[in-house]
Amino acid sequence: MQTAVDAASRDGDIAELLRAGERDRAFDALLARYEQKIYRLCCAMLRDRAHAEDTAQESLVRIWKALDGYDGRASLSSWVYAITRNRCLTALERRRFMDSLDDGDVETEIAVLARPDQAPSDDRSEQLRELVDLLPERLRRTLVLYYFEERSTREVAQMLGCPEGTVKTHLFRARAALTEQLRRRGLDDPVLWLETTP
Amino acid sequence: MKDFERPQDDLDRALDAQLARTLAPPRVPPRFRAHLQAALARSAESSLSDARSRFEREQQATLIALERNYVRLRRRTLGTMIGGAFAAGAAAAVALPWVTANLGPIAPLAIASVGTLVGIWIGASAWLSSRAEYDSQLPP
Repeated sequence: MQTAVDAASRDGDIAELLRAGERDRAFDALLARYEQKIYRLCCAMLRDRAHAEDTAQESLVRIWKALDGYDGRASLSSWVYAITRNRCLTALERRRFMDSLDDGDVETEIAVLARPDQAPSDDRSEQLRELVDLLPERLRRTLVLYYFEERSTREVAQMLGCPEGTVKTHLFRARAALTEQLRRRGLDDPVLWLETTP
Repeated sequence: MKDFERPQDDLDRALDAQLARTLAPPRVPPRFRAHLQAALARSAESSLSDARSRFEREQQATLIALERNYVRLRRRTLGTMIGGAFAAGAAAAVALPWVTANLGPIAPLAIASVGTLVGIWIGASAWLSSRAEYDSQLPP
């Protein structure tokens, strides 16, 4: 409940602009506030940056079109995230269908291209990224968003449209699964990981 | 449930730090805004184009409906006039011998003149009411 109140007060200025019929200004304010978050949510859900960019764009066009119909029943952030999640799910369905038409080589190429370009390229990061990618999808998505959103479980819960407790549970399980994988691979010595920590 | 936010041991702490590095938040590409503005413009154009096509289709349908109504009204008017003329002729054929015998030889001519005037009045009023009905269906 606190989250909804916070979000409502945070977006009060946008709601005010919408009530005043200032749709373009409201959208500009919304864009400034949610552009990064929408893109990160798309990245976390789709794994592929080019794909995430297209889907974030589609989501924002959809939001712009639907902005007049926003009735204020849900907080603006929940509404924005719900539209983005739906676009991502549609994109995933479309990609699944397209993948079913492609062969394995193309899938491998896509997986290589999908690797984030800003990530450090040292071996430890690569190993860890591989382990994260092996996590069950819900755990992986939650874990990735948690670090994208600077460890805010509240924000992650809003973005994924689930209770904060669920986010915490997923994070706990994700971290336990990662630790277990590190143990199995003999990589559970903290020194190995501390060495690469700046 | 364990407190996942507080690392439990050295491995947890090291893992947390490494995850924070590995999963650094991605930044929106610099060209994103420009692409978005183009997509919004395209979307607005297609919305206008859709609206124009819809209005044109609606206008076409309205014109076809009006044309059908107009033809139907003209037929109704013609039917009324033919029916009226037939009834007047039948009435004259029946009543003419009686009128000539009782009112004199000029009476049929006078009655025919009155009948013509009444027929013109009925035809004109039917045409005017049809026209008014047609006009009321025109779009504003």
